[in-house]
Formats: sequence, structure tokens, C-alpha cells
Amino acid sequence: MTIAPAAPATTVPETAVEVNRRPRGGIGATVLMTLAALVWISPLMLLVITALRPLADFVSHGPLSWPHSLTMHNFTQAWDIGNFATTYRNSTIVLVLKVPLGVFLSAMLAYALAKLRIRCGAAIMYTVFLGLTIPIYITIVPVFVMARSAGITDSLIGLIGPYLAFGIPFEVLVLQSFIRQIPDEIVEAARIDGAGAWRIFLTIILPLAAPALVTVLILDAVATWNEFLFALILLNSDAHKTIPVGLLNFQGQFSNNSTGLAAGILIAVVPILIAYTFLQRWIVGGLTAGAAKG
Amino acid sequence: MSRRGGAVAWVFAAPALLVYVVFLVYPAVSSLWFSFTDWDGLSPTYHVVGLQNYTSMPSDPVVVQAAVNNLIWAVVTVVVPVVLGLALAVALNGKVRGKPLLRLVFYTPAVLPLVSVASIWGWLYNPQYGAINAFLRAVGLDSLAQPWLGQDSTALAATMVAAIWLRVGFPMLLYLAALQGIPQDLYEAATVDGATRWQRFWHITMPSLKAAHYVVIALSVIDSFKVFDLIYAMTYGGPGTATQVMGTWMYFNVFQYNQAGYGTAIAVVITLVAIVVSVPYVRSQTKEQTT
Repeated sequence: MTIAPAAPATTVPETAVEVNRRPRGGIGATVLMTLAALVWISPLMLLVITALRPLADFVSHGPLSWPHSLTMHNFTQAWDIGNFATTYRNSTIVLVLKVPLGVFLSAMLAYALAKLRIRCGAAIMYTVFLGLTIPIYITIVPVFVMARSAGITDSLIGLIGPYLAFGIPFEVLVLQSFIRQIPDEIVEAARIDGAGAWRIFLTIILPLAAPALVTVLILDAVATWNEFLFALILLNSDAHKTIPVGLLNFQGQFSNNSTGLAAGILIAVVPILIAYTFLQRWIVGGLTAGAAKG
Repeated sequence: MSRRGGAVAWVFAAPALLVYVVFLVYPAVSSLWFSFTDWDGLSPTYHVVGLQNYTSMPSDPVVVQAAVNNLIWAVVTVVVPVVLGLALAVALNGKVRGKPLLRLVFYTPAVLPLVSVASIWGWLYNPQYGAINAFLRAVGLDSLAQPWLGQDSTALAATMVAAIWLRVGFPMLLYLAALQGIPQDLYEAATVDGATRWQRFWHITMPSLKAAHYVVIALSVIDSFKVFDLIYAMTYGGPGTATQVMGTWMYFNVFQYNQAGYGTAIAVVITLVAIVVSVPYVRSQTKEQTT
């Protein structure tokens, strides 16, 4: 069921190139698609416009009017009241602690499954893939109990274990299918030269799997940054909240201040939007490769 | 190369497997155990009550409502995004200018935190200051302006609109990748034979996308059972219990009503449904990877 281009090293760029290679033209279709895209993006555009106008201007002229003046006041107000300095820091800490570690551990397992002919490989793979289908909420009571008995509720450290576990299925899925396509001859040649399994993993497998690693790192970073349920149940105090939980509180406080709310939502999503815009070809390639081959 | 890795392979596999078992497999199995108890989530002790949590579910009107909502949610937020995603992919695969930008736009909502999607739509739906009612009033449809999230009749549909907004991009991307794998000569030959655009779609495009349909639908269905964030952050299950789904009702039972045993039983039911539905997909993928 290989939908995406099969050659590992070219999966990502090829998708992008293909799009450009087709003949250009089609005025009707272009107009129609542009209109559809405008409708699709309009909530975000409206959010930006609203966030940049004074509240009084918004209230007196309505949400769909063109702003009469622009201001950054909403952003400074939302930043302070929304506690974003803290939630940004916390989300970044979790990201830095979790994502590289998770991808490294997943790459190790992927290597064992793809190249080391591990015993019961199919059973392991089946068990790990099944993890993709498990809703997070089936685990929250025991995870909460475990965190409480370990004394790490309301601590960012408590998030790391569950985040790692729920990231592993997708990461292993993409990485092992990529590593599987690395020719056995390369691995075998290194082995004959006397390289051990670690040496092969670090100096051959990881560098050759770099495109898949980058994709998985990005997708895992997005998922980690956005995770809500574990953060909701494990973190109590404002000092330890991550961005999604902080945004939820903020939303409650600002329900009557539309411009401030818009600014706060933007503060929460701007890093993701910027990262997505610049890294989209990796995200797109990774999603299609992961779904199609795994 | 038939040599098995033996101990070395396990050294590489063990760390990830350990984390996976401790933080995912064990909690999931452990929830199954809690679902047979009357634990309140706080007390040090509890009693085993057998299947009581399960047998009392049918007489809990909210569970019934949540199950119906989950079903509606699964059907609507799978079918609509898949159909729209396919339409967008076909359009983007044809003669359209600015494809990379269009593709970027339609997938953008999918990368946002679900809580922010909920905030954005809650803000659009605001009865007084929301853009949706403002738009209706501006075009003279004042009578249609209403508290979309605040009344039973529209709340679930309103949350599903937000879900559709964010979920169209994924099927679009997968279909687009699949469409690019269909050989152009098939279309050229059909055109020479006088096939209409519609005939080409039904007789070439659709059959060629069989594998893609399978993956897209399987992943969308799996995803639909996980619904929690969007409902929780947008309506909190309300008004009343109008938008409760199994995930949120489970959460409220555990963390609001101190019924951890009953709550986990609800989670077990929906998880079993999700697993049963997705086993064929998981099995086919595993087989494909290992052969």
C-alpha cells in the first residue's frame, strides 16, 4: 500500500516537485480554489485583524468591520494576564526534554525491528502499532495514580513518561519503515569491517535516516507542544502549566474581551504557524509516508 | 542475512519498549482492573464490584447520549472531511495555480493545538460579538443569528463544524500523494477513447485510490474515537449534557464526581470499540511491514 513515492531519500522533496511539475492554467479552477482557501483561512485572518484593533473600535463597529486604528495593546495585555511567559517556558522545557529523547529511543527500537531481526519482531510491531489506536483517556487514571505515588503530580517531569509512550507508535512506524529500506549490504559491509551494532547505528543508520528523523522530530514537536489531556490532569498550579492548559484558563477570563482573546489565541499559536510555514514540506512528506507505508 | 540479533537487538529495543509498557500498556490494562471496582479515585481502598459499572451504563442517560454523540461525531467528522479532502486533492492535482500555497492553507488548521481551535470557534460563535452572527445580521438573516454553542439543538453540530475545519487537510494530503502516483497515460488513453471527466474520475481515479481510501478512512475513524480536547475546551460537554462524548463523560466521572471505577469503565468500552474497528488496519500494516 505504498502511496507516497517509495525511494526513502527522495520521499519528501519529490512530493513538492510533483506539485509544480503539472501544467499550469485553469482559470476557473484557480478562482474556485482560491475562494475556498479564503473561506478556510478566514477565521485566522479575522483573528489577526481583531487582535490588532482597540476593543472600543471592535465593540462599536462590530467584528466584521475594517479597523479604524491599530494597536499592540491587546498583545501586551494578553501576554501579562495570560501568564504566557510562564506557559511558553514550560512548553519549551517539555519539548526540549521529551522530543529528542523520544525520537532517539524510537530510532533504537526501529533499528532493532528493521535490521537486527529481533525475536518476536512482528508481535512487537503489532503491539506498538496498536498504541496508535488507544485513546489517551483510557490511561489517565492509572497515570495519575502513578504520578501521585511517585510524588510528581504538578511537575513537568511527570509529563515526560506518558508523552514519550504516546509518541513512540508513530515514530517507530515511520522510522522502521525508512530504516528497512537502507540496503542490508551497507550494514553487512560495516559489520565485516568490525563495526559493532552501536557503531553501525550511530554512524550509518542514523545519518542515512536523517530525512525521516527530521520529519519525526518536527511532527513529534508539534504533537508535544499541542498536548492537552495529560497536562490538564497532571498540572495544577499556574507556575507549571503548558500553553494549551494556560490558553484554556485565559479563554475563560477573557470571554468578554474579544480583542484580548484574539491576541491571546494568536500568542499561543504563532510559533506553531511559523514553524509549520517553514517546515511544511517535512510535515507533509512525513504524514503521507507514515500513513501510506505504515 | 538470517542471523538473529539476539541480545544486542533487545538492548536497542528495551528502552522504548520499557517506556511504552510502563506508561501506555500497563495503564491501559490497569484501567481495565479499575473498571471492575467502585473506586472513587481518592480513597486508599475500594471494592471489586464485578461488571456492575458496565451493567449500570445503559441506565445512565448521559452514557447513552455520549455514545450517540460519539457515533454521530464518527460518521460526520469522517465522511465530510474525507469527501471534501478528496475533492480538494483532485482539484489541486488538476490545472490550478498556486498549489503549494493552497495546500498550505487547507492543512494549516490541523497543526494548531485543539484548545486553540476550540477558542477560535468559540470566539466566532459568540452570540453577541461573534463573527458568525455578525455575518448573518449583515446579510439580512437576523433571524438565523443564535447562540450556536449555547443551545442543545445546534451545539453538537457547531463543534463538528470546527472539527471538519481542522480535519479536511489530512485526507487531502494523503489523496494528493496517491493521485500523483496514478500514471498520466491512463487518463490520456481514456481521453482519446472519449471518456468524460466524470467517467475518468469514476473509472480511473477512484479505483486507483482504493489503497488510499482504506488508509484515510481507517485513520480518520481511529482519530474520531479519540475526541476529547475540542469538546472539553469548546462546550465542556454542555449545554447541560448535550455535547458529552464518552471521553469527556469519562473525565467528568473521574475528576468531578469521584467515580473513577465507573469512569474507567466508560473509557474501556470506547477503547475496545476503537481497537476492534482498527484491528484489521493494524494487522494489514504489520503484515506489510514484515513481509
